[in-house]
Amino acid sequence: MESASVAVPHGAEHEHHGPPPANRSSRVEAQFLGMLLFIISEVMLFGAFFTAYFFIRVVNNAHWPAAGTKLPVAVAGVNTAILLSSSLTMHWALLSAKNENRFGMRAGLASTFLLGLTFLTVQINEYVHVGFAPHDNAQGTIFYGLTGLHGAHVFVGLTLLSFATIRAFRGHFTATEHRGVEVPGIYWHFVDVMWIIVYSTIYVL
Amino acid sequence: MLNPLRSEAEAFRFLVWVVVVVGVLIAAVLIVRSVS
Repeated sequence: MESASVAVPHGAEHEHHGPPPANRSSRVEAQFLGMLLFIISEVMLFGAFFTAYFFIRVVNNAHWPAAGTKLPVAVAGVNTAILLSSSLTMHWALLSAKNENRFGMRAGLASTFLLGLTFLTVQINEYVHVGFAPHDNAQGTIFYGLTGLHGAHVFVGLTLLSFATIRAFRGHFTATEHRGVEVPGIYWHFVDVMWIIVYSTIYVL
Repeated sequence: MLNPLRSEAEAFRFLVWVVVVVGVLIAAVLIVRSVS
């Protein structure tokens, strides 16, 4: 007991609070590694759906969309513009947070949430009026699978954004501490990137 | 090198890059389709 008390430098017992730091098994930062593994798993998940899409279009040379059906390209194009503009407002929110502009941060987060909600509402409305069901044919399955998978990601993004927006209105973020806006922002831009690929392959090409 | 996982700003720049690249690819495909 005596030797343990001698080994602790003077004042060191006041420097660390709480449990000991976790053992790091990698030289990569834990937050970065976690996000990297998450994105890789997401790319594989979307990749599985895109494999099915390219299989029926390239290998089977099937008609896209299925004969007698039509995809609302213009409506989805407007929806794409809505989602892209939500990335602009997200970027504005974080820039405002870094510049201590509380109004800009709150307005940016709230408008990002509303634009994302509009995107999801338009997509649900599209499902109602598109005129075919997932079980009608392989094209329908892939259409609903890919757009639905993306829609689920938008829903998760909206959940994260709602937390960030509520925290922003409670005054939680500062110019130096704004990770609660930064991480949802990275996720939101990732969701936008995936939509650009989904929209261009499903609707345009 | 651009790393979209490092910060929101880099993720945003990556998104802009993807929009431009995909836009160019789509334009090229549509032009080739209309010609052939």
